[in-house]
Amino acid sequence: MTTPVKAPVKSTKRGPGVPVQQEHWARRAVGRRETVLLGLLIVECIVLGQLSEFFLTVDNLLDTSRFFVEAGLIALGMTLVIITRGIDLSVGSLLALVSVTIGFSYQAGLPFALAVLLGFVVGGLGGLVNGLLIARLGLSALAVTLGTMALFRGVAFAVSDAGAVSSFPSSFDYVGQFYVGGQVPGQLLVFVVVAILVAVMLGRSWFGRWIYAVGHNELAARFAGLPVTRTKAMVYVITGLLVALAALIYTSRVSTARGNAGMGLELSVIAAVVLGGTDIRGGTGTIAGTILGVLILAMLQNGLTVAGVPTAWSLVAVGAVLIVGVYINETIRHD
Amino acid sequence: MSVAIPARPSSPAERLRRFATRPEAPSLVFLLAAVAVFSITVDGFLDVDNLQGTLSQVAIIGIVALAVNQVILGGEIDVSTGSMLATCAFLAGLVAERTSGLLAALAVALGVGAVLGAINGLLITRLRLPSIIATLGLLYVLRGTLLAEGGDTVANTPSGARVLGTGEILGIDVAVFLLIAVFGVFELLHRHSLWGREMLAVGGNAEAARIAGLRVDWIRFRGFLLVGVCVGLAAVVYVGQIGQVQATAATGFELQPIAAAVVGGTSIAGGRGSNLAPIVGAVLIGVILNVLTLLSVTGTYADLVMGALILVAISTDVLRRRLVGGSA
Repeated sequence: MTTPVKAPVKSTKRGPGVPVQQEHWARRAVGRRETVLLGLLIVECIVLGQLSEFFLTVDNLLDTSRFFVEAGLIALGMTLVIITRGIDLSVGSLLALVSVTIGFSYQAGLPFALAVLLGFVVGGLGGLVNGLLIARLGLSALAVTLGTMALFRGVAFAVSDAGAVSSFPSSFDYVGQFYVGGQVPGQLLVFVVVAILVAVMLGRSWFGRWIYAVGHNELAARFAGLPVTRTKAMVYVITGLLVALAALIYTSRVSTARGNAGMGLELSVIAAVVLGGTDIRGGTGTIAGTILGVLILAMLQNGLTVAGVPTAWSLVAVGAVLIVGVYINETIRHD
Repeated sequence: MSVAIPARPSSPAERLRRFATRPEAPSLVFLLAAVAVFSITVDGFLDVDNLQGTLSQVAIIGIVALAVNQVILGGEIDVSTGSMLATCAFLAGLVAERTSGLLAALAVALGVGAVLGAINGLLITRLRLPSIIATLGLLYVLRGTLLAEGGDTVANTPSGARVLGTGEILGIDVAVFLLIAVFGVFELLHRHSLWGREMLAVGGNAEAARIAGLRVDWIRFRGFLLVGVCVGLAAVVYVGQIGQVQATAATGFELQPIAAAVVGGTSIAGGRGSNLAPIVGAVLIGVILNVLTLLSVTGTYADLVMGALILVAISTDVLRRRLVGGSA
């Protein structure tokens, strides 16, 4: 194994001979994408707080997290995928497949722990299928995951035969309906821990640097001796496992395993990741940005709902924020 | 297609090899084989009414897929067609209710489609948004507006305005003629104007195309504009066939034209494909779904089959390229 390539692309615009200036930390922070997004989030919360006094309460904000954790977990994996210049449209279908696997294998008499384990195996395998087709055969990620999106959904429907399982052991409620200290949803803690793990892996480990290197210039990464194929396949497997975790939480939260779970989830996850500043053309992106993207979209939807705006309008708002947010991101990028 | 390794460039072998390097070759062979097998084994498949019904159902996806295919050839993508189709159909339905004529509804659908396509094009070429983001944003905005403001179903479309969906000429559905006509227009554009080559050049290497003096932004813009217009046309067929429009109409439709183009053999990376590809892809998907219905396999397997089909199609393409070569 050769040494990993140099630090992720923060200064690609600078030529090799240009000295790196030491800027004041405050000035550096102002120009950063995450700072802009944080500002956007704060402004958004203030505006939404004006619309409804209930929005900016600790109770409401904490409770919101019950609904964004699932998309948030998947968004962590999707960030890695998009940094490698890939995309994964199959996550919503895979969530349904894992959910159905857990529900129906439990109903068929498997001990619950084994059913959950089987769910994770299915999630990992689903990701592996994507990863192998994309990394080994060199197929387009969009085309492959468009195919597996339909395939996973089809298998989920076939396994469940359009039925649903809604009887689970009562202890299962803890996964998606438990409040730590009576107030903090359990899944929020899960999300925080997993997010930190993924962030450290992406920002501080060799593997993280390989991900950036592959996304920034795959050919160069190959010439530098990096395990490009393995790296590319691995990000889909990680995403598959995160989808399995999200499916577990989702199934517990709604107490139902059904084949139509997670419909359209893939697009909202991609929206959050891209809003968070990850470039759809690969090479750049951070976990912090993704978390901000997830929060901005989740707060928007919750805030408008709390303010009594029909849910349909929040869909419009999501679309508008996506376009404006990405436009701002692109402008920052080209400066 | 491993047949074609020309030891000597004899004429038929060479022609076969040429055919094998065409983008839509594997799916076309597969389609013909499937039709042959189904005709023998499946009762009721080789029946004029059945084939006609299948083709009419394919028409909407096919018309949109032809235009989306252009955008894909240019190296971009459009995922907004589901909401666009619903919006155009909804407004066309409203107008048809008031005027009970076809022309006004058609004009509204085409006009609205063109405006929406132009919005996509401007977001992508002026604001420099990646096409998947811009069209995803529009997908949400349109669907949300429709759900919020659309209110009740537009129902009872007067029969005069449903001609494109229900009418027949010489015993063949108008929708099928429309599909063929749109295909003809695209073929004309490709064979007798610079359109096709410009699109392929931009999709193959946008930077090279720019340096060669092509107006890359304009070429991309008119691709998205065309998707809007074709969606408008398809929307009138939709209103005609269904006779009513709900605010949730065509949810998830946006991925089907893309699937049709990809199954047909157009490369999603851009720069390689043909006009025949989306048609062959759409018909292939339609035929297989039709056979599933005839065999009374429950609808739950439709997604499974479609997914497998997409994966087989793109894997075959890799295999074919390794065997017979052809431009990548």
